[in-house]
Amino acid sequence: MSAAETSGKIEYSDSVNRNALIAVKAHLIAGLLVFLLMMLGGLTMRAAQGTWLEIGADLFYQIMTVHGVGVVGAAVIASTGVQWYFLRQYVRLSNGIFWTNFIIFLTGVVMILGSIFVGKYGGAWTFLYPLPAISMGAWSNGAAALFQLGVLIIGVGLLILYLDFGRAILARYGSLARALGLTQLFGKEPVDYKHPAAVVASTMVLIVNFLGIAAGAVVLVMGLINLYYPEFKPDALLMKNLIYFFGHVIINATIYASVIAVYELLPRFTGRPWKTNKPFYAAWFAIVFMVMGVYPHHLMMDFPMPSWALIAAQILSFGSGIPVMVVTGYGALMIVYRSGIKWSTTAKLLVLSMFGWGAGVVPAILDAMITVNRTFHNTLWVPGHFHFYLLIGLLPMIIGFTYYLTGEGDSKEETKTVDNLGFYAYLIGAFMTSMVFLASGANSIPRRWAAHLPEWVGYAQVGTVAASLVVIGMLFFIVRALVSLPGASNPR
Amino acid sequence: MHLTIKMEWLPVAALVILALPPMQKFLEQSMVTHMLVQIPALAVIGWFLGRALPENWGNQLAPWNRWGITGMVFAIAIMTYWMLPRALDAAVAEWYAELAKFITIPAMGIALGVSWPQLNPIAQGVLKLEFWATFMRLGWLYLDLPDRLCANYLLSDQRVLGQLLLLAGSAWAITWTLRVTFGTRIINT
Repeated sequence: MSAAETSGKIEYSDSVNRNALIAVKAHLIAGLLVFLLMMLGGLTMRAAQGTWLEIGADLFYQIMTVHGVGVVGAAVIASTGVQWYFLRQYVRLSNGIFWTNFIIFLTGVVMILGSIFVGKYGGAWTFLYPLPAISMGAWSNGAAALFQLGVLIIGVGLLILYLDFGRAILARYGSLARALGLTQLFGKEPVDYKHPAAVVASTMVLIVNFLGIAAGAVVLVMGLINLYYPEFKPDALLMKNLIYFFGHVIINATIYASVIAVYELLPRFTGRPWKTNKPFYAAWFAIVFMVMGVYPHHLMMDFPMPSWALIAAQILSFGSGIPVMVVTGYGALMIVYRSGIKWSTTAKLLVLSMFGWGAGVVPAILDAMITVNRTFHNTLWVPGHFHFYLLIGLLPMIIGFTYYLTGEGDSKEETKTVDNLGFYAYLIGAFMTSMVFLASGANSIPRRWAAHLPEWVGYAQVGTVAASLVVIGMLFFIVRALVSLPGASNPR
Repeated sequence: MHLTIKMEWLPVAALVILALPPMQKFLEQSMVTHMLVQIPALAVIGWFLGRALPENWGNQLAPWNRWGITGMVFAIAIMTYWMLPRALDAAVAEWYAELAKFITIPAMGIALGVSWPQLNPIAQGVLKLEFWATFMRLGWLYLDLPDRLCANYLLSDQRVLGQLLLLAGSAWAITWTLRVTFGTRIINT
């Protein structure tokens, strides 16, 4: 064991560290900019539904497609930046591979944007078979193929990155089980309270995303074959299962990658360590299976699905939020309670993320009940869930980490008025956006409809105001990131 | 009389046995044995031939095969060609295509044997996953396609091959998962 390993942290040369920091900043800035653009797309859609803006239905569905795939992409690239920043402190990761993934990601983004805005592809991010091949003239086969190739290439880039994670974790810990803390959980090794939470979380993300991307690599190619050889008609239900396994796992894993920021940063702000223990390992072990097992809650209206899969999905969906949320939420509250924490923007955002994560899963759990799902799943209730989860759960983790890097990490930088303005505009806007979606869903307003009935327009208009606030808040964050992040040094 | 057989000659002997007309006809009468026995056997023979090559051959090849990239590109190109159904049909129907198969697939095995150990572990991982995905994709295709892909083989044969490919892919995935999840230190950096 090297000296670096016994101290728990990996040593890199200054030049490697400098390059790594630039790479992380590039990931964060790219991710946040894509988020902002997607928010503008969301605002446009809400304004169109609210009759304040006139756009054609074809453009609406193109924006809906880019909004869906873009948010997932931005979440993945930004959360990967957070995860990589911390994981490389415990296992030796390659800067070259990290950059490679970034460049492949940008290439995939260009392909996807081309397919949507040049090729007019508007079949939603789900590329659900057989829709891409039966556009009835709205887009060409080439556009649908380019979209799927773009998604495929992004998957390949991530796969390369995860292989590097796997290599580095295995090199240090010998097995993924040991990295997950299972040897400690099952008594094969004494409990090490200093076993890094970043390694546990990253191992979980690595396992589920690797399998998710593998499923995606198969189903995307099958979709491509169908585009050019329509006689090949794969089982539509199997295709849907694989697509949702891939899609649900990859977006769900972003929050588990980003929560590392909470584990790593809250202790620095409170002066109390985040100790890993057996309940922590048990929770993360359980979530490996739960994240992969819950996806059939997207297929509850597909009557040919085996009943056992739907029942299992309902039970797992009920439970999936609990393990990690309990250990993380409870842990976060415990280390904050009476710690004398200084409420910087980073700290506020990280604690807000705990609320967004905890409360954001509640609508999902309700929707995962088979009887509720039959009524709610095709309504705006579901966007209500994931906007809550992503806007108030995931994004505050990523933005909080960005603030940490911009200078708050050194505790020298004071919170500025503009930061407070951004924070509260964002908070109110994000909460309103989510609640308006949920209220719309509760009132049976369907989702993925370009045109709304007159009775629904009021909801969309309130949603437009809410989305504008989110955009304003995000603009403050983005300006702050663009101004302060490039020159910021690595917090000590 | 004491007979000593040099280990290096074993792959050559195996190649000769596979090329014998009865063995060749036996393995090529079914799509399953053609694709899952004969072709992999030829590749494995090539792999062992590659290991038995004189050392100076390897040294001369080395500048042309940095990090194993050239060899892997060569191997993948041959692999891709022999995955085409019409290539299999040609091998069954035409002697020159059969001869090409008996030359190119062992050559692919040699390239794999020489290049794989030199390949970056990340590239190895990407290719392993791509090979696995190819098993699953082809298995699925062979099961679901309404038509025969090879003129020389029955649809039922194609279906069995599809099932076996899915089975092999699944077994591979489980083995790999178990190894990385519970295995001991298998990669040292």
